[in-house]
Amino acid sequence: MVQMASMRFTLGLMYTPELPLRTNLTEAHEASWQAIGEPGAFWTGPERVQMVAHARAATNCKLCEQRKAALSPFAVPGEHDEISRESELPPALIDAIHRIRSDPGRLTRSVFAQVIAAGVSEAAYVEMVSVINSSVIIDTLHRSLGLSLPELPEAREGEVSGDYNTEAVDRGAWVPVLDADQDLFEPGMPRVPNILRSMGLVPSAVQLFFQTFRPHYALANIPLSISQAQAEFVAARVSALNECFY
Amino acid sequence: MRLRGSGEQEGRDYDLGAVTSDSGDAGVDQGATLRALTEAAIRSEWDLLDSLRGDAFTTLGEQQTVDALTVAAAFNGITRVADSTGIPLDDAMAEATTSIRAATGIDQYSYAEKSARYDL
Repeated sequence: MVQMASMRFTLGLMYTPELPLRTNLTEAHEASWQAIGEPGAFWTGPERVQMVAHARAATNCKLCEQRKAALSPFAVPGEHDEISRESELPPALIDAIHRIRSDPGRLTRSVFAQVIAAGVSEAAYVEMVSVINSSVIIDTLHRSLGLSLPELPEAREGEVSGDYNTEAVDRGAWVPVLDADQDLFEPGMPRVPNILRSMGLVPSAVQLFFQTFRPHYALANIPLSISQAQAEFVAARVSALNECFY
Repeated sequence: MRLRGSGEQEGRDYDLGAVTSDSGDAGVDQGATLRALTEAAIRSEWDLLDSLRGDAFTTLGEQQTVDALTVAAAFNGITRVADSTGIPLDDAMAEATTSIRAATGIDQYSYAEKSARYDL
């Protein structure tokens, strides 16, 4: 057991075995981290890794700090802090990444519109949302447990697939979403809530994000050592802190 | 808000207003500790969280502390997915939470409210 534990550590995997984290979570995070570095539907491996680097830069970015302190985050022009590697991403996309990471509670449709106006497709935007927010989960857990952030994923060369869901539908979100029945899981709660449908335009984006998210939480019978109510209190408090309407 | 659903299943009446207010444990077991851990994690107050985590290992338990932070990390990501895609409330959810959203101030987080407040 000790040998296995030290092997995991020396192999450079994401979590030390001393932490009481469930294997399904650590394995999911490792798989997601690797997947981020691989070519996606619309962004190459290097581009997806650059997205994570920009998201991390946003946590210490001077412009983001000034915007967060302003009455409107759109009142402060300027340049975001650069990342240490070359970046080929459109400036509008980089700006959106910084806003998503640093000030999610004040995102408006104008941020999405600015990215689309720069020539990025809705599907490519959705893929960015998945990559960034998968990394947010992994980075937040690391920092919360007192761990150093994992090194950026290894970027792999290769062609993007171009795959997207041609049957995605308009349900009032900024992007087309997965079409799904609205039958209820319980009163007030659909079996497939909109949040599960939100990235349905790009199936690989759904796969990446929920592969990362799923070991953390369940709507019922949560498989953790805290009660469902305790988990819901934490979840609701995060939603309030991030000023999330959904 | 799923906390209400948990309360209904347990036969308990949680104080949902505590979720959006600056204090309160909502009546949840160990709610004050959970709240402090969550707020430090989401506000990136890492030194404070290091201290709180050590205390929580004693009061809440090591596994419970890690699991609470696991949930917080997940929602730090999924709330951004919702707010990056402009996903609306599900019809059934919107109908079932009308009074709660008004009472807790959650309505002020709606996309229309945010656009009116922040767009130039």
